[in-house]
Amino acid sequence: MPETIELIISQPFLQRALIGGVLLSLCAALLGVSLVLKRFSMIGDGLSHVGFGALAIACAANIAPLYFSLPIVIAAAFLLLRMSESGKIKGDAAIALISTGALAVGVMVTSLTTGMNVDIYNYMFGSILTMSSADVALSVVLSVAVLALYVVFYHEIFAVTFDESFSKATGTKAGAYNMLIAALTAVTIVIGMRMMGALLISSLIIFPAITSMRVCKSYKSVILSSAAISVVCFFSGLLVSIRFEAPTGASVVCVNIFALATFSLIRCVLNSARIRKGKKALSVSVALLAAFCVFAVPLTGEVKVYRKEKTGVVATSFAPFDLARQVAGDDAEITMLLAPGEESHTFEPTAADIMKIEQCDVFIYGGGESDEWVSSMLSSIDTENICVVRMMDVTENLREETLEGMQEEDREEGEEEYDEHVWTSPKNAGKIVSAISAALCQKDSENKESYEKRTSECLEKLNELDGDFRTLSEKARNRHFVVGDRFPFKYLADEYKLSFYAAFPSCSAQSDANPTTIAFLSEKVKAEKLSVVFKVDLSSGNVAESIAENTGASVLTLYSCHVITADDFNNGETYFSLMERNLFSLESALK
Amino acid sequence: MALIDCKNVVLGYDGTVVAKNLSFAVNKGDYLCIVGENGSGKSTLVKAMLGLLETESGHLHMGDGLRKREIGYLPQQTTAQKDFPASVGEVVLSGCLASKKGIFFSKEQKKLAEENMKKLDILPLREKCYRELSGGQQQRVLLARALCATKKLLLLDEPVTGLDPVVTADFYRIIEKINREFGITVIMVSHDLYSALRYATHILHMKKDGAFFGTVPEYLESDIYKSFSGGEQNA
Repeated sequence: MPETIELIISQPFLQRALIGGVLLSLCAALLGVSLVLKRFSMIGDGLSHVGFGALAIACAANIAPLYFSLPIVIAAAFLLLRMSESGKIKGDAAIALISTGALAVGVMVTSLTTGMNVDIYNYMFGSILTMSSADVALSVVLSVAVLALYVVFYHEIFAVTFDESFSKATGTKAGAYNMLIAALTAVTIVIGMRMMGALLISSLIIFPAITSMRVCKSYKSVILSSAAISVVCFFSGLLVSIRFEAPTGASVVCVNIFALATFSLIRCVLNSARIRKGKKALSVSVALLAAFCVFAVPLTGEVKVYRKEKTGVVATSFAPFDLARQVAGDDAEITMLLAPGEESHTFEPTAADIMKIEQCDVFIYGGGESDEWVSSMLSSIDTENICVVRMMDVTENLREETLEGMQEEDREEGEEEYDEHVWTSPKNAGKIVSAISAALCQKDSENKESYEKRTSECLEKLNELDGDFRTLSEKARNRHFVVGDRFPFKYLADEYKLSFYAAFPSCSAQSDANPTTIAFLSEKVKAEKLSVVFKVDLSSGNVAESIAENTGASVLTLYSCHVITADDFNNGETYFSLMERNLFSLESALK
Repeated sequence: MALIDCKNVVLGYDGTVVAKNLSFAVNKGDYLCIVGENGSGKSTLVKAMLGLLETESGHLHMGDGLRKREIGYLPQQTTAQKDFPASVGEVVLSGCLASKKGIFFSKEQKKLAEENMKKLDILPLREKCYRELSGGQQQRVLLARALCATKKLLLLDEPVTGLDPVVTADFYRIIEKINREFGITVIMVSHDLYSALRYATHILHMKKDGAFFGTVPEYLESDIYKSFSGGEQNA
């Protein structure tokens, strides 16, 4: 059996993805036919933006996003229908109004409250692989309801779609059926957002319908073939995403594009005047060839399955990866999930990532905002044989702070948000090293001695680093520094009694500061007569640059060790070498 | 008793009067043509007869056992329909929707659809795709659908718009056959005064300030006809 299929059968998280995805594809395809024929294709897009807006509000108010978005999106669907029926605003304009409006509200709410956090990214691009059993159960219930209602009212939906005036005249309540279609679409959009992402879900509605309309000649065959196309494309997309470690949503859409191209080609063959004989045979062979491609590509070739030969350690980000590397030496195999240069706060695990975690011995993660996917992922896999190290459990944690002049991220009262960059203080790094060492010794007792030896060497080095920073702090003429960026160094600053001003809190994914922030920070640089303003590695540095321009200070980089650039990674930089760079830059800034 | 009895009816939307002083009666077997310039309220009257619009005043009654959902209606075609992927059989069968009980169509309903397709010579097309038919064939399909919905009254809203002369003549002959042979009453909204006079038994000529109703010979004698046809010739 092909490896990809085997994986789907053996992995519960892939099974859940398959069940949820197939049902969603069915719903979307059925409704899509009506929507496309009623010239309402964009309603899916409009509603998904409303879904995004609702989601932003749900995240800000700390309500479960699915339950909150559902009624809002249904209400929006009714509103859209009303607006275009009353004829005061035309259908496409109504959709554009509501969709862009909702998007703007969503962005406003997000930026005034939590910032672009992982939850919101999850819903924008979907995260079908990390669905919990409860999510799947809800999706199954909703999709089955959508399917059942569609089947029961099949003939009515056909009549209303084909000819609203006629069905009204013969006593069919066309308005009610339009409402039904809108409501079913809304439900499909909301569950689809969870799986495919708000940005991609409407393609699942439109593509299969358009594709089957290339070739099919009766309504029933359009319905059946778009259902089939949708399911086949989803399945193949899932295979593609496993085989090539690509995001599932985008893979499914790409397979759909391929299917549309194939069917258009078949239509050309069927309509072509020049080909007289064997049209059917030719189109069937085109279809078979396409189907072959769709499955052959992802099914053949080897899936890069993680097979460890030694004790396996998986770390989410660079700091724990490198510390584990220091402790483990050659005795264990260390994997980092975040590729060098990848944005940590928008990370979404691929199927391969989840399988790596499933098979490793020691799994190390931070536990803060950018690791929010971890808890739902861990609850969806078997963790019995994994020693899980949550860095924020082994260190003391500091609240994320919003300082004077910092662009605010209002949080709900009582919402505890701790800064996750615990490793930026060498003291904490020592605690993390000890925890990793303990986990390794427990999982691989044969190599206990060498682990312990390397651990004490590593702790020694961390002690030196700590000493250097302490000296820096004692010698410093001035204790202030300014970071024109997000600020992941709270632990470092606190430990060595340095004070700082920064543009954004530690986890913010924002990079555009408002003018007030830039002015405030520029004032600080001038008042303290600072010669250096910092940016953080992997950021655009725009804010720091404009402060530097305002004040004549020079820009230096601080390294958060959360993610590392590909160049630095290939040059073999380590936690220590990056922290030494930080030490050096701070020395020149504070003297 | 008349199938449709209309006395002193005023029609309008949101208080704006579109047509007033409408009085006419349609009896079984009649062939009524509704003519009149654009904006004289023809489509509004159609809506009122279908029960989709309340009259502002006056009375509009169905009689002779005719119920509102039993009118076989042939609406104007929409652009969306022109490329709709549905088979002829499916479209015709959807005319039986009003009498459908339960989830599926019954055997009798399927048979009725088949008979109506036979009557209009479109049975061989039943598997064909609606969007691939010619304009005349599409009108026949919609007519067959309308026949599925009624045994008494057909209501056609400008059915020959966009058809070429040969197909138009053909279509009028079918309507005539339906009216004479099957005994189905016909009400047709039309711009084609010449054909209206040729095929219809009665004419309702709508005008902003009142309407004329009578048999074709009566109409030919009326002032409204003389000024209207005279005006047309001058135009």
